[in-house]
Amino acid sequence: MALAPKKNKLSLWQRIRQNSLAYKFIAPTFVAMMVVHLIPIVQGLYLSLLDVRLTTLTLYLRAPFVGLKYYIEVFNAIFGLGEAGASSRVTGLINAASNTLVYTIWTNIGTLGLGLILAMLLNREFRWRGIARTLVLLPWVVPTFVTGTIFNFIWLEQGGLANKILLGLNIVDTPITWLIGPNSLYALVIATVWRGLPFTTIMFLAAIQVIPTDLYEAASLDGANGWQRFRHITLPLIKPIAGTQVLFGLINGFYGGYNIAVQMFGGGTGFAGEYADLLVPAITRQTWERHLYGFGSAASVILMGMLLVFVGIWYRAFRDSLRAE
Amino acid sequence: MGVSLSKKAESARPARATINYKAWLLDRGGDILLLVIIALMLLPIIFLVVGSFKSREEFAVGSNFFPSDWRFENYNEMWTRVKFGTYFSNSLIICGITTLVVTILASMSGYALARFRFPGAGGLSMAILGTQLVPGTLFLIPLYMTFLWMKNNLGIPLIGTNFGAIVLYVGFFLPISLWIQRSFFATIPIDLEEQAMVDGATRFQAFVYIVMPLAGPGVISTAIFVFLTAWDELLFAWVLNVQTIPVGIRQFTGVAGSQNRYELLSAASVVIILPVAAMFFLLQKRFIAGLTAGAVK
Repeated sequence: MALAPKKNKLSLWQRIRQNSLAYKFIAPTFVAMMVVHLIPIVQGLYLSLLDVRLTTLTLYLRAPFVGLKYYIEVFNAIFGLGEAGASSRVTGLINAASNTLVYTIWTNIGTLGLGLILAMLLNREFRWRGIARTLVLLPWVVPTFVTGTIFNFIWLEQGGLANKILLGLNIVDTPITWLIGPNSLYALVIATVWRGLPFTTIMFLAAIQVIPTDLYEAASLDGANGWQRFRHITLPLIKPIAGTQVLFGLINGFYGGYNIAVQMFGGGTGFAGEYADLLVPAITRQTWERHLYGFGSAASVILMGMLLVFVGIWYRAFRDSLRAE
Repeated sequence: MGVSLSKKAESARPARATINYKAWLLDRGGDILLLVIIALMLLPIIFLVVGSFKSREEFAVGSNFFPSDWRFENYNEMWTRVKFGTYFSNSLIICGITTLVVTILASMSGYALARFRFPGAGGLSMAILGTQLVPGTLFLIPLYMTFLWMKNNLGIPLIGTNFGAIVLYVGFFLPISLWIQRSFFATIPIDLEEQAMVDGATRFQAFVYIVMPLAGPGVISTAIFVFLTAWDELLFAWVLNVQTIPVGIRQFTGVAGSQNRYELLSAASVVIILPVAAMFFLLQKRFIAGLTAGAVK
């Protein structure tokens, strides 16, 4: 029974026939992906060239063709070109784009850095290790919109937990305004890192645990200190895992943040204000509250383009460790 | 483990007072740092739980960390103040059925991708990964319009119904689930199926009776992953007007004329966390084994 048929001996049709069970197993998934991903994505790309509004919604594919009009608008708005201020629908995007970049960078640094430290600490032998490993996972079971709710309470200027602790420890003299103004983006970053930390920690811990211990022993006998062992053994061997985590982090940073932001900033609209508005909430508002569907599609495509640039940089940085896998 | 072994190697050297002191500080320092981080990670959850027992006034003022009077009646009032029971049962139905369907489909296609080198496998793998790079805001717009069109012209109730949400979530969570499953099937030795087939089983029987039981941890981890993610989904549910928990919970803050009832919102949040937390901690070991197996190998 040839489970892995040799490629060169069989024709394409024979190979298809031989793998008929595979096609039967794939078929339902293929249909679901066609319906929910592939067809809508193609439609979305086409819609970004149309002027779809509330009035043209029901016959959306016959909406007026406007070509790259919305792309130019979104592009100008993000890079501060043209008359960005002239049209109120685009003004938010400059802030949202730069906030998204800052948010992605800080949430990645936070979850990866803290996750690695936590994994190293949890990998030692100590008496309450089992309990510690379980407790660290707790934020993971908190849904992200509940995370937003919790941190909404924590960041309140009057009576919020964060300010009470900072005032109590005499770190600040006056309460900090967390949910409005420049601090709000970092309030969002901290909430995101809190929720994302367990996953990164578990992944790093799993990677550290499969490193053979005799590598460390040999290095110790050769006189390597703790930092050198970390730098030359641990870091290179967890690079593949770190690569996966960075990719997840990039996708989450660009496309995530919506659930936490909507609940954390609340106020009915869920608008985080210019300092903490991200691209996905901004696009969602333009699309569903202002009924600018063509504009929303164009902005989504440009958002995807921005992500792909970073995925390209990511691929160059982690190419070697991916190949080694 | 590695760190502790190297400690042994260190202590084998002639002991000097400074080295012992440093090692002690390193060890205790790690413990203390870990304690601080864990405390900071638990604090928000403790804050939520104690907040759910506060009175409305005490919550608003925020003077005490612990409530002066533990109000258990918040947990009764939250069910009546908004239609929380409806949101809760909707979410259970949608997430339950989605999890079941996605797990079955992802097992089948994950197995196919792990075991068969069929024409088109490479393209399909790329498409699966590609879906993760597309923002939900892009395909949500056409999906909404298609659902609206089907409702208006064909009478299929996809908008505002649990059925519509299930259809959407199955397609939405399938790619990543089957990716997790695939890496799990790849770790099961192929000899076991070959042996079963030599003994007269069909390929399908070998899959159902030999491979699936062995893939148990992977299947469970996928199921938990899907349930957690579906339980958490807000944007698609909101746009499609499905009354799930993430959509409904906002009723506690200002929307339904009830003004801000933070203490009820806290109680509801605790109730929302309970099902996923219970499931997670019952199956934690298998879940983590399943998720990390694919990533580490």
